[in-house]
Amino acid sequence: MHIVDGPLSPEVCLGTGLLAAGAVGYSIHRLKDGLADRTVPLTGMMSALVFAGQMVNFPLIGAPVSGHLIGGVLAAVILGPWAGCLAITLVLMVQCLLFYDGGFSALGANILNMGVVGSIGGYAVYAVCRRFIGRGVGSTVVAAVVASWLSVMAAAFLFCIEFRLFHGSSDLDFGKVFALMVSFHSLIGIGEALITGTVISFVVRQRPDLIYSPDEHTSGTLAGAGRFVTAGCIAAMAVAAFVAPFASGHPDGLEAVAHETEFDSLQADFPALLLDEYAIPSPVEGWQESMLWQRLSVSLAGILGTVSVFVMAIGFGNALKPLATPAGAGHAE
Amino acid sequence: MMRAVIPPGLNSKFRMTTSESVLNISGLGYSYPGGITALSDVTFTVADNDVVGIVGPSGAGKSTLLLHLNGLLPQKLPQLADGESAAVDVCGLPMSAGHLPEIRRRVGFLFQDPDDQLFCPTVGEDVAFGPLNLELGREEIDTRVRESLAAVDLAGFETRSTLQLSAGERKRVCLAGVLACRPSLLALDEPTSNLDPRARRGLLKILREFRGSQIIATHDLELVVEHCSRVIVLDEGRVHADGAPDSILRDAALMETHGLEVPLSLRVGGPTNR
Amino acid sequence: MCHRWPPKLKLLLTLAVVFTVISVPIRFWPLHGVFLSVVFIGHSLARIPLVYVARRLAVFLPMLIMLSFSVPISQGFQAGWELAASILVRGTTAFLCGLWLVNVMPFDQLLSTLRRLGIPAILVSMLAFMYRYFFVLWDELDKMRTARRARTFCHQTFWQRWKGSAQLIGMLLIRAMQRAERVHGAMCARGWDGHVRFLDDARSHSARSQQ
Repeated sequence: MHIVDGPLSPEVCLGTGLLAAGAVGYSIHRLKDGLADRTVPLTGMMSALVFAGQMVNFPLIGAPVSGHLIGGVLAAVILGPWAGCLAITLVLMVQCLLFYDGGFSALGANILNMGVVGSIGGYAVYAVCRRFIGRGVGSTVVAAVVASWLSVMAAAFLFCIEFRLFHGSSDLDFGKVFALMVSFHSLIGIGEALITGTVISFVVRQRPDLIYSPDEHTSGTLAGAGRFVTAGCIAAMAVAAFVAPFASGHPDGLEAVAHETEFDSLQADFPALLLDEYAIPSPVEGWQESMLWQRLSVSLAGILGTVSVFVMAIGFGNALKPLATPAGAGHAE
Repeated sequence: MMRAVIPPGLNSKFRMTTSESVLNISGLGYSYPGGITALSDVTFTVADNDVVGIVGPSGAGKSTLLLHLNGLLPQKLPQLADGESAAVDVCGLPMSAGHLPEIRRRVGFLFQDPDDQLFCPTVGEDVAFGPLNLELGREEIDTRVRESLAAVDLAGFETRSTLQLSAGERKRVCLAGVLACRPSLLALDEPTSNLDPRARRGLLKILREFRGSQIIATHDLELVVEHCSRVIVLDEGRVHADGAPDSILRDAALMETHGLEVPLSLRVGGPTNR
Repeated sequence: MCHRWPPKLKLLLTLAVVFTVISVPIRFWPLHGVFLSVVFIGHSLARIPLVYVARRLAVFLPMLIMLSFSVPISQGFQAGWELAASILVRGTTAFLCGLWLVNVMPFDQLLSTLRRLGIPAILVSMLAFMYRYFFVLWDELDKMRTARRARTFCHQTFWQRWKGSAQLIGMLLIRAMQRAERVHGAMCARGWDGHVRFLDDARSHSARSQQ
């Protein structure tokens, strides 16, 4: 998920860097009224935890590699949006400055994608979900699952936009790059949703008091700005799932249609590798090669991802029966 | 005057109200948010240069009592008007939100787990944390850091990383950080836990050299025999005995009633402490 | 040798080289060759062992290759090769640059440099915390993993392993937050009031002493 030095042009790096700096500065400002003197130890500890947690291996079916936590929504669910964003920013800074996991010039973009949109945006989605489905144990998990998937998709989509900007090469159809990125990340998003959901369901059963509650902290509520961010996130997800496959690399919309006919020749050369992994086999013979099905299948992958996330989320919720007594409440070391 | 045993319920009769008392606790009670009572009607006084050991079974409330000495408990402290008294009095200052900064300077707290207390990347920074918060000047801070590290036999450790210290060294750096604030009362929670015999001896030597009062919550009864001038037995949040270690710790029936036992050195007729 | 350079110079130099590398269009191949040579010179001046660099590259390169090749793959291998090459070359040069910085700048020096470059004090102190407690949490994670392995006697299903890993993180999270509360208590016990203070900023003349 980390962007390295190279793919992004310097203007984009500078622009995202400024945006990220502004957002981080705003988070610090919001924190000053909220957690007060607890901010420093709690956020620092959460960063250390996310950093350590990212090294835990999660087995993947049929793949030799393992999955890992990203942690944006996890941090936000425990500490709130602003501290969560700062925690992820710190993780990204250390990964970049100490381990070079993520490029220096891309630090701004990484912070924007994973810290700001991932954590603050993720929290916004989580809070909105909770408002609709309730604040109980099951609903918290469901909301966290949904928010995790959406935050990964939003980050992936943002990366595509950042990559597209100022790369003037006209021989590239960025729609295909988008489609590839978005499909791949919808799978990563499912992994993140599963991991975050399982961790949150464990924590909420053992120590429900650790879950962030905006009622105690006046500046944690997301009035105004929160709604804007939520709307933005949902829009980003919608675009990722539905519009990205149709995005044309050409600025002139009128020409897009003309170019589509040229795409037919390219479609036929699509390597089987891609079709097997990212596209859905068509039910009708002959549709496989059509441009319409190509685009539809990516979109369907996005929708399928969304639906499976909701199904998973509801499954988690149902699996959680309220315990007779809260286990470990007030348990002293 | 001190009595060997205080029957539960009788408290105010034995309170010392002289201005020399460093710590004055009177009728202190505390319940956890869940409703469990941790402390009930605790009363005692600590005079200047007293070294008091607090002993009792696990869950007796020793750590909870200590956390009241520098206002970490209760979580919300009252704002007191002039002349109003509180259950906890430190150097004549009643425990309230207004007196908290000064009380926290006077009470040096050593936590059980050094990792909870050693939170800066280098030793020098950690020891300087307290003086920095007191807003002292740079030279004064440097002097205090040097003196505190020397007092704990860690001279020259300023630039060492806190990640590379042994258990004994970590404990001593924590103590240095506490000493740098020049407290009048040292509150120590299980200071000898996880220390090997050599580290334990080193710590004991430092504590003997400290000029001030000490209150030590511990399971290490030998420490009480060697170092304390007074011992308080706490069980289920109540004070059950308060007096000289020699008489209280030899009382086998009392010890066993409260989940303790007579320390080995006293069982085999070792030297009595006066 | 590079270890003794002024910290600000080391950090700013690295950032400058990285930014230059990514700004130069890929067409100027000789220039990229020059950058790579400069970085290698830096590595030898700092006496960074080649084996170490090779090992880190071995971890980093596959990901970079995957990223750069995704462009031509998505175009059906018809286009995108120049972009792929540019990502690969720039990425590798910048990576080596970053590796140099990591080896010549110890962490506490990095923290004070960031502070002097204007990063907010609250962020720098949180960074210090993170560094301090990461290893503590890592040890706890290790102990929990060992304890789990010691009590695993049969083959575990996919879901059991998944749940086990998630519970590890969950347990670590709870312990970490409990520890953070205790650390906060220890900070308050030594006068912490939420205001971040650094030794470098302490005034050199004695302020009023609270004896």
